[in-house]
Amino acid sequence: MRSIRLLILSRTHFFLDASLLLASFLCASLACSLGDAFASEPDAAARPVSMVNEVLPILTKAGCNAGTCHAKASNGQNGFQLSLLGFEPFEDYQHLVLEGRGRRLSNTAPEQSLLLLKATGQVPHGGGVRLDPNSEQYRVIIEWIRQGAQYDGQSATKLRSIEIQPFEAILAPSAQQRLKAIAVYDDGSQKDVTKLALFESNESSMATVDEAGTVSVQDIPGSVSIMVRYQGMVGVFRASIPQAFVVERFPEAKNFVDELVFSNLKKLGIPTSELTDDATFLRRVSLDVAGRLPTEQELASFLANTSAGKRDDAIEQLLASGEYADFFANKWTAMLKNRRDDASDITSNFAFYSWVRDSLLANKPYDQMVRELLAATGTVLSNPPVAWYKRVKDPKNQLEDVAQLFLGVRMQCAQCHHHPFERWSQDDYYSLAAFFSQVGRKPTSTRGEDMIFHKRGLAGVANAKTGQMRRPAALGDTVQEIPPDQDPRLKLADWMADSKNPFFAKAVVNRYWKHFFRRGLIEPEDDIRDSNPASNPELLAALEARFIASGFDLKDLVRTLVRSTTYQLSSVPNPQNITDLQNFSRYYPRRLSAEVLLDAVDDFAMTRTDFPNLPPGTRAIALPDNSYNNASPFLKVFGRPENESVCECERIQTSSLAQSLHLMNANDVKSKLASGTGRAESLAKSDKTPEQRVEEIYASAFSRKPTPEELATAVGYLAEVRVDASGNPIDPGKSMRENLQDLLWAIINSKEFLFNH
Amino acid sequence: MKHDDRFSVLGANRRNFLTMGLGGFATLSLPGLLRLQSAIASDPTGKPRERKSIIMVWKPGGCSHIDTYDPKPDATTEYRGPFSTIATKVPGLQFTELLPRQAAIADKFTVLRSMRQTAPGHPAGSMQMLSGDPETRDKPKPKYPDWMTVTNYLRSRDEPQRENPLPRYVGINPPLEYNGPAYLGDMYSPFTVSGDPSNPNFSVPNIGLSDTNEVQRLGRRSDLRQKLDTLTRAFDRAGELGALDQFESQAISLLTSPKTKEAFDLTKEDDRTRDRYGRNAWGQQLLMARRLVEAGVEILTTSLSGPLCGRVGNWDDHAVNHHVFDALRFRSEIYDQAVTALIEDIYERGLDQRVLVVVTGEFGRTPKIEYSPSTGAGNASAAAGTIQPGRDHWPRAFSNIWAGGGIRTGQVIGATDKRGEDPIERTCSAGDFLATIYHHLGIEAHTTFIKDFNGRPTPIVDQGRPIKELIS
Repeated sequence: MRSIRLLILSRTHFFLDASLLLASFLCASLACSLGDAFASEPDAAARPVSMVNEVLPILTKAGCNAGTCHAKASNGQNGFQLSLLGFEPFEDYQHLVLEGRGRRLSNTAPEQSLLLLKATGQVPHGGGVRLDPNSEQYRVIIEWIRQGAQYDGQSATKLRSIEIQPFEAILAPSAQQRLKAIAVYDDGSQKDVTKLALFESNESSMATVDEAGTVSVQDIPGSVSIMVRYQGMVGVFRASIPQAFVVERFPEAKNFVDELVFSNLKKLGIPTSELTDDATFLRRVSLDVAGRLPTEQELASFLANTSAGKRDDAIEQLLASGEYADFFANKWTAMLKNRRDDASDITSNFAFYSWVRDSLLANKPYDQMVRELLAATGTVLSNPPVAWYKRVKDPKNQLEDVAQLFLGVRMQCAQCHHHPFERWSQDDYYSLAAFFSQVGRKPTSTRGEDMIFHKRGLAGVANAKTGQMRRPAALGDTVQEIPPDQDPRLKLADWMADSKNPFFAKAVVNRYWKHFFRRGLIEPEDDIRDSNPASNPELLAALEARFIASGFDLKDLVRTLVRSTTYQLSSVPNPQNITDLQNFSRYYPRRLSAEVLLDAVDDFAMTRTDFPNLPPGTRAIALPDNSYNNASPFLKVFGRPENESVCECERIQTSSLAQSLHLMNANDVKSKLASGTGRAESLAKSDKTPEQRVEEIYASAFSRKPTPEELATAVGYLAEVRVDASGNPIDPGKSMRENLQDLLWAIINSKEFLFNH
Repeated sequence: MKHDDRFSVLGANRRNFLTMGLGGFATLSLPGLLRLQSAIASDPTGKPRERKSIIMVWKPGGCSHIDTYDPKPDATTEYRGPFSTIATKVPGLQFTELLPRQAAIADKFTVLRSMRQTAPGHPAGSMQMLSGDPETRDKPKPKYPDWMTVTNYLRSRDEPQRENPLPRYVGINPPLEYNGPAYLGDMYSPFTVSGDPSNPNFSVPNIGLSDTNEVQRLGRRSDLRQKLDTLTRAFDRAGELGALDQFESQAISLLTSPKTKEAFDLTKEDDRTRDRYGRNAWGQQLLMARRLVEAGVEILTTSLSGPLCGRVGNWDDHAVNHHVFDALRFRSEIYDQAVTALIEDIYERGLDQRVLVVVTGEFGRTPKIEYSPSTGAGNASAAAGTIQPGRDHWPRAFSNIWAGGGIRTGQVIGATDKRGEDPIERTCSAGDFLATIYHHLGIEAHTTFIKDFNGRPTPIVDQGRPIKELIS
């Protein structure tokens, strides 16, 4: 593994506090007039100014080479192009000095350089005033121009790393912390670059940071990190913000998940919520593992069961069910882009879906499943994972999808420029692409489908910028030379499944964590980088180790997560954990996804949605591809993805006006509630008492008994007499039927139905 | 850097926004939220911000520019076509004889004759014009969100609590075939009205239930729901339930409020006005567009398509589809009347500052006439096998018209060469077209970026500047 180019200083918190005090004292005594990295240096005029180490960082700090300004793709803002964040000094030299007919810089009258006239707002500048003519930064640029605007990319001292001081701290709510960024160069020299570094908070509701590197903590307990960037180097400051509360007691820890979650909560002074009741647990775990509500029978026998291990038993039953495989196949096939663009895709989509589902049902080891997909050869029908190569044709998309989906690394940026928050360069990008350079294709008799084979030859892809041929290398790791007759994709699969791989297991355990706990330990779940640390790194590492030790066993992973007490906490907060949204001190409720909600409505209403070309009774969570979204406005409006993106964020989980309108008034929902064979009708015909009717409705929708008030309200409503247009009471049977439909309507439109809580 | 401000104020990128609930307020404390709301409700001078609106009339398939707004009377017959030219209210500006009504009010709009994009197919052409995707090849799904969903997204973010019960973005038979929200998500898609509003049985589903029994029943159900909806709100730090409550009351209002029902109800217009637009689908679509925008809809799109276009239902006048000249004659009177009425009405009702009207399609049509056998008989098309004239796709040069929006009217912008093949002055790109629309809507196109699925900040317009003659 390539080591991370980040030096970390170890210091005690005592020292941190002391240095903070000292800093504020110094600042006060100097009236903050300097606080300035440049103040301590010899006057710029006395020595050569470095373009690479002095001028470009100023342009970066001023925002000139941000992606939204002059580093904007295709020519930069207004035709003046700079490289993103100064990653390409020589290109910047060309843009600044040679292009624009040389008018951007004026050696004879540096103050008249267009660059400075624009940046200081002396001539109209779309980006506003970026530089103060009285600043040291301005003088540095002037001096550089006066000295002939030399390019020193070859000779400049190379930046080795940046150090953030302090790199971590425990801060009280509303506290402030000043950060220092120290650049360390190859020749051992150091320089305070705080004024030129870029600071960014990963959670601005918890802490903000200003341009000078002062962190201001808000009043939400938890952990927050500040990313510090300077010339392609990234450093991180991590703050723990405990609240002044001593937690006396945590619930019983059932496994290492609980131990690590609770120890983190203890540090932060956040108590957990209570353990959730049996009924809520069963509803929650059935929805999260099998994508469905528990049946009334399941609920009744679960509640009646008095054995101590009944929750674990219920988990086992769900994991063994076909619905587990349906639900997770639905999740994976969306990210693997099982998408119907053409009617003729149906066969290959069904085959691919079945392969994913069967693999999950049989609990095929995850590394094996990924290997079968990555290194697939043959035709779709003989080897269904080949279908992925039908959807994702371009080697660049192949590497991007593989990196994001299986490694949690977003490489897209590095296709065209150095990754702005990461160590990935274009060489890393094309080296990863090289694994896919020998994917051969031959058209088959089926339209749109190629046979995939390994094309003999030395694998390699040219870096689009340098033109240099890149041999396969996986995110900084060199793999051994791959002979021409060996499929490089197998090497990539070997590298992934290596127990020391820092990405592969981490990405999937974090993804699954998010599935069950709503928020990833790293968030977004597929954006794993040094500058985006996990909220509980020890827990993530322990999950990773367990997953690898289990032989990449996905069911074991699910079991580990949902057996934990942490998963089984109530969603009802207490005063001390209400603000917690990242430490899992309670269950965070979530709206049911489109498919799960449609199935839930059908189960509750005792109706069925039919889908074209599928056997009647096929559930929405078992749909093999996206094509059914067209036939079902319900699925579309509740955000079922079109399987376009490798990111799970394509699925929409937020609410919308269209969703509310749909549940209230759409024809498909109305006809389910009024169905002649549905729940309202069957209850109306049954000889149950009104109380029993309400209880059945509550059990099937909410998996619980109604409270006395709810029972009274609902029974009262069922007893109301309806009148016809002329004001005469209608037939009591008809009246009851209408009232039952109204009650079902009220139930499916309630938040308790819409949410897993 | 407007973009950065926007994102730092909201403290959320798009992914948070999607995952954490409406408005991304999970990451914002309540005082922060209130500050934000008051900050956006008024501008620095304390004046409530005026919400500019837009009506885009879309001619799907691409309208022949030579036969309408950019006649070439001196070109040879292989190019010119059969239509004579007529003078307009603007000295020196000529249209073909197909547009006499618009000619008579040419001082009330501006013609842009030098529109140019680079995609020859309907999908890619529509994507260039509506989402600014520079790709020239067709693809099945848009890569970027169209300007309508972008605007809806940005405004929803700025003003999460919309007071007007009407949806912000409405499409009346909207142009959605090739465009859409892409990575913004369907929640920013339009409230869609489909069908022919001139049809006496026309009704808009989900708007103002007409049956009083049904309204009463919905009220009862809603009351009952309120009583039973007891899920503790305490956990709702993310504000999701609050957002849901708001959508629910908005939905109830749409379903039951007489005011929203009225906004869609064309029978509330007097007969003279309805006649003036034309008692046909297009006329009544444009009347409904005006009515809705007047009632507070901010983004309105409508396609002029269907049987009024001729056999194939759009403006794609290849010889195989239509006899191009018969087709233009077939539809021009209705088109001319409806567009004229809309433009005049916008000015007469004082909407001309707030509402921009733009009429366009994805491209023009080949200046050189081609002849091919028809593939079927029908309106504007001879029997199958009959050789008839047609014009093919032409993105290199075409015309569109602009009115309202406070712009200077009675202008002609740009010109094409003597055969109408290429612009010879003031070439305007699809990016310029979009930047102009965004400018009117108060969105700075070149500094606004939205994160895509991968979190990459993506400009809403890659290249393009507001067309200066078209901004107020």
